Amino acid sequence: MAGITLTLAGVAIGLEATTFNVAFLTDPVGPKAFPLVVAATLTFAGVRTLVRPRASVELPPPETLLRMGGAMIAFLAYAAALPWIGFFLSTTLVVTALARLYRGPWKGSLTAGLVLSAALWLLFVGLLSLPLPVGELWIL
Amino acid sequence: MDSLTQLIHGFSIALQPLNIGLALGGVATGTFVGMLPGIGPINAIAILLPVIFAAGLTPESALILLVGVYYGSQYGNSISTILLNVPGTASAVVTAIDGYAMTKDGRGGPALAISAIASFVGGTLSIFGLVLFAPVLAGWAIRFGPAEYFALMIFAFSALSSFAGASLVRALAATGFGLWLATVGLDPNSAIPRYTFGQIQLLDGMDFVVVTIGLFAVSEVFHLLADTEGGQATTAAFGRVAVTGQELAMTGWTMIRGSILGFLVGVLPGAGGTIASFLAYSTEERIAGRDGRFGQGDIRGVAAPESANNAAANGALIPLLTLGVPGSGTTAVLLGALLGLGITPGPLLLTEQPDLFWGLAASMYVGNVFLLLLNLPLVGVFVRALQVPRWILIPSVAALAFVAVYAVNRSAFDLVLMTMFGVVGWLMRRFDFPLAPVVLGLVLGPLMEKNLRRAMALSGGDWTALFGSPIALTLWGLALLSLVAPALLRRWTDDLPGAEAPLQEGE
Repeated sequence: MAGITLTLAGVAIGLEATTFNVAFLTDPVGPKAFPLVVAATLTFAGVRTLVRPRASVELPPPETLLRMGGAMIAFLAYAAALPWIGFFLSTTLVVTALARLYRGPWKGSLTAGLVLSAALWLLFVGLLSLPLPVGELWIL
Repeated sequence: MDSLTQLIHGFSIALQPLNIGLALGGVATGTFVGMLPGIGPINAIAILLPVIFAAGLTPESALILLVGVYYGSQYGNSISTILLNVPGTASAVVTAIDGYAMTKDGRGGPALAISAIASFVGGTLSIFGLVLFAPVLAGWAIRFGPAEYFALMIFAFSALSSFAGASLVRALAATGFGLWLATVGLDPNSAIPRYTFGQIQLLDGMDFVVVTIGLFAVSEVFHLLADTEGGQATTAAFGRVAVTGQELAMTGWTMIRGSILGFLVGVLPGAGGTIASFLAYSTEERIAGRDGRFGQGDIRGVAAPESANNAAANGALIPLLTLGVPGSGTTAVLLGALLGLGITPGPLLLTEQPDLFWGLAASMYVGNVFLLLLNLPLVGVFVRALQVPRWILIPSVAALAFVAVYAVNRSAFDLVLMTMFGVVGWLMRRFDFPLAPVVLGLVLGPLMEKNLRRAMALSGGDWTALFGSPIALTLWGLALLSLVAPALLRRWTDDLPGAEAPLQEGE
């Protein structure tokens, strides 16, 4: 699996690199030389892995995979929600969700989310004056 | 002596109240993250970076803070290693052998004390080495041309790949991945976009903070989900954190030998603390011969690797600062930090930025004193942090990662990118690919390409120019040598228990 992915990636990167043509060259090798070297390296590593496969890797039990998927969705949802509902609410929600995925109790998780969001807001906006999104929903 | 006057000048910078505070904050943070699972110095430094840019610290102060985290984490690492038998990084694996044996014996206190003292000795002696050798190396490296730099970076990659873990091919693949990531964005010479997949956000290239936090912190969040019961470890009673005069006398030479060995190994790229601590341990075991109780709680078995890995950590700063070529994942992140602060490390750093170098060196003395003071009487406070349950700790790390990544470009797109790298990082761990070469490749990639193209421009496109000078040839030779070195080293350490232990990421 890893071998196939690597080989394909190497070849794809190499092919893409050949399209980096510029009208005039400021240096003799241009923008494609280095990516081509990289592509060759990746392809070589991929082929080597294909030729000498190792024992297959065990995946974690489905229950764990499910929770990992949940964490990933929480991360992506956070990215989507941040500009919209703002830093405070989305951070509270995501921390609570993650704490729940780590089998924290409901009350504790919610408290952790609230305290952490407030602390980070104070630290970054108050102390470092680094703007964090307030949320378009509340401004309109 | 010239260095001495420079160093005294350095102290005048390091002893400014802000810098003392930052050194203290840095080493305390370092101890903390070195001890806890799931953070580690790489993430701590990557997360702190946007904060530092936002706070507008001067480069000196920023570096004092970040390097404090870097060497402080070496101390913290030994706490969880000795008390819980969970070495956070590969460099602490050998400490676990005798350190944990001492804890089971009810001598955890002396083990913690000697590890703090040995770390202090290793740290302080190696700063002396840093001050002594960095100017020499810088004077020598000033003759490096683009071909030499290119060869030097190849050496850094081959050394890191061959020492990073089990498989050379996998490390090579990881390096290639990192180098490819480095080419994403506008080509600096011709301004044509490369590998941007039509995304405007990718024109600027991959920000290494986003990639690093994704690969290390986010993948750790996924990884630890498999083991949610952990985190509330009960630590054994460790008694008074002190050593007797006799124990100190017994370990004196051990620590000095460990420091020198560690420093020398640390200067080499790639090798770092892991090899240093293995070598120091096996050397001491041989010297002690039959009088030793190595493996059953010999105090020298803690003193040797702890002095060595701290010395190695500081030794690794020499190639970083004087050549601009890091040899490990963590020093690669430090290089990224320096570049972000507008500092280009290299042979000219010492002459052009004397305040930065000497201020940093002096602050490392200050920081090591703080670490000793923190670790001897206050170790109990740190240990309490080990009791924080995982369901609070890990989401907190995730939230910090979010803020840090968002702060880089103020874009939610980076959060998506970070999540993707988290998944990639998790898969790479699962399939046994090392992560450190990716970061090294990402940070060194642009420098490598620049030097390659300069070398080609100078030679008119003649690739043999890369092997044209004696220095370049020597470096290519060293690169080859580093690929066979692990086999030789294994012969030296094969009688060592735990030497076959899988090397972990995050050093």
